Amino acid sequence: MLDVGRHPNIELLAYSEVEGLKGTAGEFTITVRKKTRYVEEDKCTGCGACAEKCPTVVPDAFNEGLGERKAIYSYFAQGIPSTHTIDADHCRQLNGKKCGICAKTCQADAINFDKKDQVIELDVGAVIIAAGYDVFDPSQIPEYHYTEIPNVVTAIEFERLLSASGPTEGHLDRPSDRAVLKEIASLEKQAKKSQKTLARFEEKYNESSASFYDKFQGGQYEGDEDRQKWADKYAAHLAIVEPLESLQKKAEGFTVARRLAFIQCVGSRDFRFYPFCSGYCCMHSIKEAIIAHEHEPETASVIFGMDIRAVGKGFEEYKIRGGNDSNVSYVRGRVAEISAGPDDNPVVTFEDTRERKVKNQAFDLVVLATACAPIKGMAALAETLGVALDPYGFIKTSPLSPVDTETPGIFVCGCAESPMDVPESVAQASSAAERAAEVVFQPEMKEEKAVA
Amino acid sequence: MSKDVLVIGGGIAGMQASLDLADMGIKVYLVEKLPSIGGKMAQLDKTFPTNDCAI
Repeated sequence: MLDVGRHPNIELLAYSEVEGLKGTAGEFTITVRKKTRYVEEDKCTGCGACAEKCPTVVPDAFNEGLGERKAIYSYFAQGIPSTHTIDADHCRQLNGKKCGICAKTCQADAINFDKKDQVIELDVGAVIIAAGYDVFDPSQIPEYHYTEIPNVVTAIEFERLLSASGPTEGHLDRPSDRAVLKEIASLEKQAKKSQKTLARFEEKYNESSASFYDKFQGGQYEGDEDRQKWADKYAAHLAIVEPLESLQKKAEGFTVARRLAFIQCVGSRDFRFYPFCSGYCCMHSIKEAIIAHEHEPETASVIFGMDIRAVGKGFEEYKIRGGNDSNVSYVRGRVAEISAGPDDNPVVTFEDTRERKVKNQAFDLVVLATACAPIKGMAALAETLGVALDPYGFIKTSPLSPVDTETPGIFVCGCAESPMDVPESVAQASSAAERAAEVVFQPEMKEEKAVA
Repeated sequence: MSKDVLVIGGGIAGMQASLDLADMGIKVYLVEKLPSIGGKMAQLDKTFPTNDCAI
């Protein structure tokens, strides 16, 4: 990533989108919209002082909404470029409210609320599409209750929970527990505030609120307006403290998630959604189970799948290593349903096809190995570039030309072509780079591509 | 005729393609729709089957 940012031959146009393409191989004219960040890229040093002071808190997309960021933000800590960006949907100043705190804070004078999008034209000989994929939205599968049961997460959300730079600093805190802790923090803040108010009354009347309240309820101070106020405040305080104490008691029992279920083929190999195999998810789940075990040695994971597809160099060995060293077991069967169980533990209903038995098993956390779906804007991008798509919405290629689109001079690599893992994406990327280089180095020789 | 190449997408595939072309002496424009490059791989903690750090 760093190498890309500092390579003299690479001009990085981040926060930009391709809007048009004209011409043919060797002579394309591309229109690119550089979206405004409302921050001058040549001035911003990426120091982050603006984000520290920004008053608007927004769910953080990089952490899959599990963490928070500000309305002015760097996409992630090590992001390249490190230039900060103002989120125009949430920024107070850009939505007509009084703010501008970031501009006052910025020592480099980089904030510019009037900065507009910039549309530029580029002349290029070849184009490589590496637009990636979107994670399949598992809320489309009603029997998995992804949005209703808090401790059911996607593989990429789990990845952020495992990450030392993620919202839990690598601890597998369950979303339901995190919600309780957040509620506790908010109630504690309210309790502290009401405690202050009560202290004023206690000082004034030299009596504890509790003993006063007993007398008040006994009818001792009827008609005393000031004491009526005190009683109201105390009642409000109790309404905060009582749920707070019960939540605090509940939180005492919280531990990190140790019993993990991984559910394979969520959206893949499912005729309701995508009939294809997404390829990388089996290995992804095994990796997540192994890493979770590295973080917490008591972790036990069960991977539920029709079969484990460990096809690739070193992959089968990795699967066996998971079973031998990392407390990972594999159950052959498709999960029929996930339901809410006691203590926020999701219950997985499945048929163990080896034992021919239908079983229910409770877990601390369930991870859905979601399908690799084409990006949402793929149809529009394909239309802009004039390339064909396959029936699923990935870029169309043929088996003997796996990086050539149907349009000469335009190539594809990675998950924009079809679901694939990192090593395959890298191999395809080098292949696409070579094909593009052929076009720009020797266009006159490339009327017809020689095939083996 | 242009000898430059446009790469759309700054994930692992787009970054690798850009670096390969740039190392061949070709000027590359790398367009990424998000504020930073890295793509999905930047969100991954480690990668299989070696448990190497992603980025």
